[in-house]
Amino acid sequence: MIDVKSVVKHFGDIHALNGVSLHIKKGEKVVIVGPSGCGKSTFLRCLNLLETPTSGEVWFEGECITDPRCNVNKLRMRMGMVFQQFNLFPHKTILQNITLAPVTLKLMTQEEADKRAIELLARIGLSEKADAYPAQLSGGQQQRIAIVRALAMNPDVMLFDEPTSALDPEMVGEVLELMKELADEGMTMVVVTHEMGFAREVATRCLFMADGQVLEDAPPTEFFYRPKNDRLKDFLAKVLV
Amino acid sequence: MFDDLPGQLYAALIKEDRWKLYIEGLGNTMIIAIGAVVIGLVLGTVIALIKVNANLNKKNVFLKFLDVICDIYLTVIRGTPMMVQILIGFNIIFAALSFDYSVLVAIICFGINSGAYVAEIVRSGIQAVNRGQLEAGRSLGLSNSQTMSLIILPQAIKNILPALGNELIVLFKETAIVGYIAVQDLTKMATLIQSRTYQPFVPLILSALIYLSIVMLMSWGLRGLERRLNKSDRR
Ligand SMILES: Nc1ncnc2c1ncn2[C@@H]1O[C@H](COP(=O)(O)OP(=O)(O)OP(=O)(O)O)[C@@H](O)[C@H]1O
Ligand SMILES: [Mg+2]
Repeated sequence: MIDVKSVVKHFGDIHALNGVSLHIKKGEKVVIVGPSGCGKSTFLRCLNLLETPTSGEVWFEGECITDPRCNVNKLRMRMGMVFQQFNLFPHKTILQNITLAPVTLKLMTQEEADKRAIELLARIGLSEKADAYPAQLSGGQQQRIAIVRALAMNPDVMLFDEPTSALDPEMVGEVLELMKELADEGMTMVVVTHEMGFAREVATRCLFMADGQVLEDAPPTEFFYRPKNDRLKDFLAKVLV
Repeated sequence: MFDDLPGQLYAALIKEDRWKLYIEGLGNTMIIAIGAVVIGLVLGTVIALIKVNANLNKKNVFLKFLDVICDIYLTVIRGTPMMVQILIGFNIIFAALSFDYSVLVAIICFGINSGAYVAEIVRSGIQAVNRGQLEAGRSLGLSNSQTMSLIILPQAIKNILPALGNELIVLFKETAIVGYIAVQDLTKMATLIQSRTYQPFVPLILSALIYLSIVMLMSWGLRGLERRLNKSDRR
């Protein structure tokens, strides 16, 4: 489904990605962990071209999206993204946040989009917040709305960049719970996170990144209990205490 | 100065229907201020959008070219006095036009001047919007212009409006110099009446009070507008 071929990304002198190659199949849940600044966000952002790779190719469903002729807007409609800082639109109500893109992009009429948004809100138990503004919601609620906003586009894959890192500890659970549900429904997911419990439970594959490279790529049991790479062993020793 | 105040008031206001001159002058002042703000707003917004987009797409040569032109304009306009600009506009650039057009020339000169300040206000207002907003819009598949118009600009307006209101007030007061290019604005009318009555007190103080009350009215209106725009911030 997603094919990453020797992707390199430089920011001036900073080498954020040093040749990452990866194949992600439909339905996989790939969790990416690694020390701060190792290029996890950059990698994720290269997948939907929020960053343009310096070299290398990214293929998505048989299309080379790094080709300049690729329509990035069309591509992004099929790839949902969830950010650490939620990035809800503060001047729009919750309902408008969810319906803005599908309606503007003429994927749905306002009525269809409203109906779908109401269904999605009911599903996460936030129906009564439809007419509230983002500032009136807790962080956990905002992040769940951000996930729903991406889902309203019916994407084929969801990218998560540290979706729980900006949350108070008591709100992390509700967001992870929603992500687990998505995973159970078969959504293809690529998740950058520090939540090792989530990685162990939900991931079908775990990647360890350091210095802009993927140093280990294994199913969670192997990844956590029989890591091969020494830096991963150090890393796990620190984060798993 | 206060000798025979009723007589002074009579001479400055009632005699020969002079009160009409203040109204006529204020009319011109308002037309120039409003016309200039409209031009300034359009010009300033276009320039701000060019600068913001040139900054986002550093590789685009065409945008880079427009950006340089904008920089020259901003430097020249902000580096020279308004008074000199309007004299150049009237006596050189539009010298061929008759005096009947002096209000129009004033509108254009003030509009071009205001555009430079508005551009800076709009640009910083746009750049104060969190970058995550642009990324969120783009990641949903919205185009750059859709994201700008639906997500960034509506939020930027909240940052822009107070400074823009201030610019409108400054501009409104600054139009008092148009008398130099033979426009009969409020200030010019006041001095005209003074030159007929030889009594400066009533016309000058009265014109000051008129300016002041309109400025206060504008400030009040702006505060109301800001409150309405801020409704999504409430918790
Ligand atoms: N827009 C940018 N301009 C310049 N340098 C950048 C930019 N984005 C990222 N970098 C640099 O690239 C490197 C990788 O950054 P990235 O954000 O991908 O790391 P990360 O693994 O997501 O880290 P964290 O866990 O802190 O989020 C870092 O050194 C960072 O400073
Ligand atoms: Mg990151």
